[in-house]
Amino acid sequence: MAQERETVADKIAAVREVYADAPEVGRVGLEKMMAELQAAAVDHAQQRAASAGRTGLRQGKVSELTSIVTFAPGGAKRLRVLLKLLGGNFQGADKVGTLHDMRFVFLDNDTRLLFATTYDGDWDTYIDDFSTKIPDALDVLFSNMVGYPPKGMRDPAIKDWIAGNQITADAWYVASPNLTVPEVRRLEKVGAVVDEFLDKIG
Amino acid sequence: MANSVAGDPSTHAPTIDLQEIQATVLRLRPAPYFGSHVALRINDVRAGRELLRRLIPHVDSAANWWKPASAWLSIVISYPGLEALGVPQTSLASFPEAFRVGMAARSRELRDEGVNDPKNWEPLFGNGQIHIGLNAFSDSEEKWRHVIATARAQYEALSGVSVLLVQDFGAQPGDLNSLGYKDGIDQPPIEGSGVDPLPGQGRPIKAGEFILGYPGEAGAPLPMPQPDILGRNGTYVGFRKYQSRVGAFNRFLQANGSTEAERELLAAKLVGRWRSGAPLTLAPDADNPDLGADPRRNNNFDYANDPHGRQIPFGAHIRRMNPRDTQLTRLTDVNIHRVIRRGTTFGKPYDPNALSEQDDQVPRGAIFLFISAKAMATMEFLQQEWISEGNFIGIGEERDPIIGRQEEGAIFTIPKQPVRRRIHGIETFNVLRGGEYFFMPSISALNWLANLSG
Repeated sequence: MAQERETVADKIAAVREVYADAPEVGRVGLEKMMAELQAAAVDHAQQRAASAGRTGLRQGKVSELTSIVTFAPGGAKRLRVLLKLLGGNFQGADKVGTLHDMRFVFLDNDTRLLFATTYDGDWDTYIDDFSTKIPDALDVLFSNMVGYPPKGMRDPAIKDWIAGNQITADAWYVASPNLTVPEVRRLEKVGAVVDEFLDKIG
Repeated sequence: MANSVAGDPSTHAPTIDLQEIQATVLRLRPAPYFGSHVALRINDVRAGRELLRRLIPHVDSAANWWKPASAWLSIVISYPGLEALGVPQTSLASFPEAFRVGMAARSRELRDEGVNDPKNWEPLFGNGQIHIGLNAFSDSEEKWRHVIATARAQYEALSGVSVLLVQDFGAQPGDLNSLGYKDGIDQPPIEGSGVDPLPGQGRPIKAGEFILGYPGEAGAPLPMPQPDILGRNGTYVGFRKYQSRVGAFNRFLQANGSTEAERELLAAKLVGRWRSGAPLTLAPDADNPDLGADPRRNNNFDYANDPHGRQIPFGAHIRRMNPRDTQLTRLTDVNIHRVIRRGTTFGKPYDPNALSEQDDQVPRGAIFLFISAKAMATMEFLQQEWISEGNFIGIGEERDPIIGRQEEGAIFTIPKQPVRRRIHGIETFNVLRGGEYFFMPSISALNWLANLSG
């Protein structure tokens, strides 16, 4: 425990040092927050983010995937038109069953794409299943990016391409780290049924 | 061999090289079955290569595997074993990471924690000393003893090879496993193997999922170790030894069933089959031993009429290990998560009267051998997704009742009308005592290894 406190003190000193030349609002804010930060630093051992496998971070059962990829020539336009067809929503992702959320953000004058998703489990658990069940859907989307392997999802190089474009987050917060997508759906159903039941007996 | 029907020989000639593939990959476990596992350590590289040279003439290929045979011997090699044979570094590096580091180092991915943690394993396992595994199968005691004596004569003659373990198995009354069930019924049908699938097995799966060098389900062959002669027609074999807590299992049945009929129904709901092997889908009310014994009928079912799990619970062992046409919560291709199973029972037979904690310690259980061209990745997937939790099939944190490691207060749910039955406090019935990942080379690959120089 004493060792943990010493490490926290070192980390606090390091934060103060790098904030020495921060804008004044940041410096002043830091000192006001110091007690809270100290407490958070001691607690963090419990909530430390784990690895999601090959790449990415994970909290409990929920992992993050963040990538920034350059568009292939014409790729941005193609993707935009496709996303417009889908109304900016990706209900088809329901079928995948592991995705909590997914975002497509066009950057830098449509030269690059930020693709980010929150998903259940480890990094590569279901990628082989995508390759045999929904290769076309993923090829249509990601063939718009530079370096996409010639055979797409069926290419042996696909996992390297995905991982190569991914940037592991430095911090990852999840409100309910034990709630997987199926569990959320199950609880929605159970919650509704319990309410109905209580209404009947109440 | 009446119960070991492989399937009818196909009208199409096999498209995989049966002369190269080791027999155990395709030959079913016989009934009755006798055999042994032998674990060896290579202390001297030349002795290791000489051992292979002497054993190779006795290793059987899968040629005519659907016809009866007297006995067959197979060889598997761990990564430390490949190192001990002096396999070149570039070749060693071409093997998958999970295989290279060994099963103990993959405990996080395998969810082998708590009582199953490698630090609790039997001393033989988890430290890289098992280099070579020999496995002999036969349907007759005499032929088994003969083939294992032949193998023994080869390895005992070499001082540079140590015997770490000889584990005889089989000869169980009725071929039942240590919890009293007939097992090993459902096997994946392999395209081009030379037989048609048995009823209920589904459509043949691309050979490359099970044997290296052939196209897999996605079209391309799976990654293969190099050089080509070493990898082609080989496969990976996983080995997991479980101690069965028969006392705990019987206590569970007693505590949750007040009549013999109730207890046997509960036992059937845990697995999805009655003790005879008859599936609940085809025998919902009572066991049917004739059905259980007939390989053309005992697997001929699907889940189309069981969307709520009222025949076979979602959490039942066989529904987890092969969900078939169950609507899963996640987009899954069941065909790429199958393994060929060559499990064997060891130790004392199942005892329906065993109730004490001492009974839990009587050495008996399952040696689970699983085979696939990506056995490590598949077992890690199965442990993560289909065994150690139930999210994939909509049952939250529930674990496999037969091979899952149960936490305190674990539950098992039996869907039924009007209200599901939920049993609290299910215990771990099979405890992991050790395991390893192995490579099963082709016949040519064994020769290549035996003739390495340097």
